[in-house]
Amino acid sequence: MQGFALYPFDPPGDIGALRAELRAWLAVNQPQGDIVARANCWASFDADFSRALGAAGYIGMTLPTRYGGGDRHPLERYVIIEELLAAGAPVGAHWIADRQTGPLILRYGSEEQRERYLPGIARGELYACIGLSEPGAGSDLAAVRTTARETAEGWRVSGQKIWTTGAHFSHVMLALVRTEEGSERNAGLSQLLIDLDTPGITIRPIIDMAGHHDFNEVFFDDVLVPHGALVGTRGQGWQQVTAELGLERSGPERYLSSHALLATLIDAAGADPDPAVAVLIGELTAEMWTLRQLSMSTAAKLAVGEDPMVEASVVKELGNAFEQEMPRRVQAIVDCPWDDPGDLGRLLRALLIASPSFSLRGGTREVIRGIIARGLGLR
Amino acid sequence: MSAAREMLCDTARAVFAEAVTAGIAPVEEAGFALLLVPEADGGFGGDWGDVNAVLQIAGVIIPDLPVAALIASDALQPAATVSLMAGAMGQALVLSIEHVNTRHQFGRPLGKFQAVQQSLAVMACEVRAVEAAAGALAARLDAVGLDPSAAGFEIAAAKLRANRAVGVVTAIAHQVHGAIGFTREYDLNRVTIALMRWRGEQGNDAYWAARLGRQVAGLRGRGLWEALTVR
Ligand SMILES: Cc1cc2nc3c(=O)[nH]c(=O)nc-3n(C[C@H](O)[C@H](O)[C@H](O)COP(=O)(O)OP(=O)(O)OC[C@H]3O[C@@H](n4cnc5c(N)ncnc54)[C@H](O)[C@@H]3O)c2cc1C
Repeated sequence: MQGFALYPFDPPGDIGALRAELRAWLAVNQPQGDIVARANCWASFDADFSRALGAAGYIGMTLPTRYGGGDRHPLERYVIIEELLAAGAPVGAHWIADRQTGPLILRYGSEEQRERYLPGIARGELYACIGLSEPGAGSDLAAVRTTARETAEGWRVSGQKIWTTGAHFSHVMLALVRTEEGSERNAGLSQLLIDLDTPGITIRPIIDMAGHHDFNEVFFDDVLVPHGALVGTRGQGWQQVTAELGLERSGPERYLSSHALLATLIDAAGADPDPAVAVLIGELTAEMWTLRQLSMSTAAKLAVGEDPMVEASVVKELGNAFEQEMPRRVQAIVDCPWDDPGDLGRLLRALLIASPSFSLRGGTREVIRGIIARGLGLR
Repeated sequence: MSAAREMLCDTARAVFAEAVTAGIAPVEEAGFALLLVPEADGGFGGDWGDVNAVLQIAGVIIPDLPVAALIASDALQPAATVSLMAGAMGQALVLSIEHVNTRHQFGRPLGKFQAVQQSLAVMACEVRAVEAAAGALAARLDAVGLDPSAAGFEIAAAKLRANRAVGVVTAIAHQVHGAIGFTREYDLNRVTIALMRWRGEQGNDAYWAARLGRQVAGLRGRGLWEALTVR
């Protein structure tokens, strides 16, 4: 019996040339930034880099040209994304806008919203954040309580979001809010595109355990946003968010975000590595090679218009585990003091500290396993 | 799957079912030894995609019979073993799901308990990984005309990944089955014992990890990525 079908990864055009083109561009344009910034690259913010990447046509690649996009095939975009991540390029600023907000606006947004937001996203100048989590709504996302009341002037938004990555540098938040008074669970929810410079919004930093300011609390105190801020259909927010999360979970970032550690380990080990290190490199390579096959098959399934919810969850689960175990296993084998000033030591420390978040962001391990269990027919 | 491969798989299922009691003879008589032999030489003219599909079925139905040795050369036995393992792991998952859906404890099917669901999700990820590894290895072997040295990287990576999945898959399959899975009559041991055996055959984890690790060390950090993306 064959369980899951493998979808052939078959992008149009000359993919070798596309890779070479981007590699050459990166050689000139990628900041020779710190190795640590390169290791957790989709959390590294660099507006100049994003703008240059946008100008070169590598953001908004799948959006139609009339909105400033490149009208490229999703698998061409996939190739670009994996190259950026493998190179450790600082893609954090535009990442969310490019990956999910842009495609979501294209799919569900009004013509006015498309014209207003998509060209800036494709230029790498307009950044977005995801307003889902609230203090009382984490894994249980249907417990969202932030409300938007429709009035003659527009929507009046009140409530609080939390853990909002990049809210402090983003221009717009795609927020999940309750638009039907008294509604329960996943009914009565809608999505609003809220410009973050609107009066009544307060953004407060939350410093993470690595000492970084990536995420925030966002407070809405009777904020007035125009009627046109509603994305898609009133009351359909839950269905739209599910589609958005599908985009969030299926990319190569689920196993490639800390590729720099593996590359640095290999370089540190030299051409004739210690036997224990060789074994470790072999094991990590086998895992990464396999994850790449799974991820490409999932992307190919998405590209032919099928829903890869379960496959994407498998990639996320295995990818998160891989990236979380990698620094632990390196530490277990390579003798490296905590405050080692070398590349490998600093990377190792940074990723050990960052790694607990990998199986939280984008859906916790338990929630992801629940989705896989549903796919197996157990729920 | 192509129509020809689907027919081949149907034949394999029927022949292998017969072989459960009759031994390897029906498999030989059905001509599976000629699967990879070119049509011009009177063979089936199959590719490794076909071998992968057929051996996955063998891994489910007749894990104890030497089907892989019949079809593929010695140098390709590690690759063949990955296909057998993918099939057997898939079967361990199928049996586990069937079991937790029918066995009731505490007034409901075991599969309704979150702890059991989470274990099976972990197992499914491993099975899926090995299926993907077997599939990607097949694509590579076909691209290089079944030259095992040109597919050395993929053979090592796939066999190592399959080996590493064995521990998780056999442990969870047996855990969710409880005592019934530990009996001789029940089908599970036919695939789990085979998996334990295959893990040590054609190179165990230590063998392939050291070999692949040394190969990758020679590529350097950036070279690993470049090597992956030209394949
Ligand atoms: C780095 C990072 C970036 C993030 N960025 C964003 C963002 O940009 N926008 C945004 O909206 N959110 C963001 N989040 C929030 C993230 O989506 C939530 O952390 C996540 O959904 C879990 O919610 P929680 O933290 O409230 O944990 P809780 O829901 O309190 O869960 C705690 C633990 O209990 C487990 N658990 C909960 N319920 C169950 C259950 N029914 N069965 C079994 N186990 C259960 C969880 O799996 C978890 O392990 C980010 C989080 C991190 C760490």
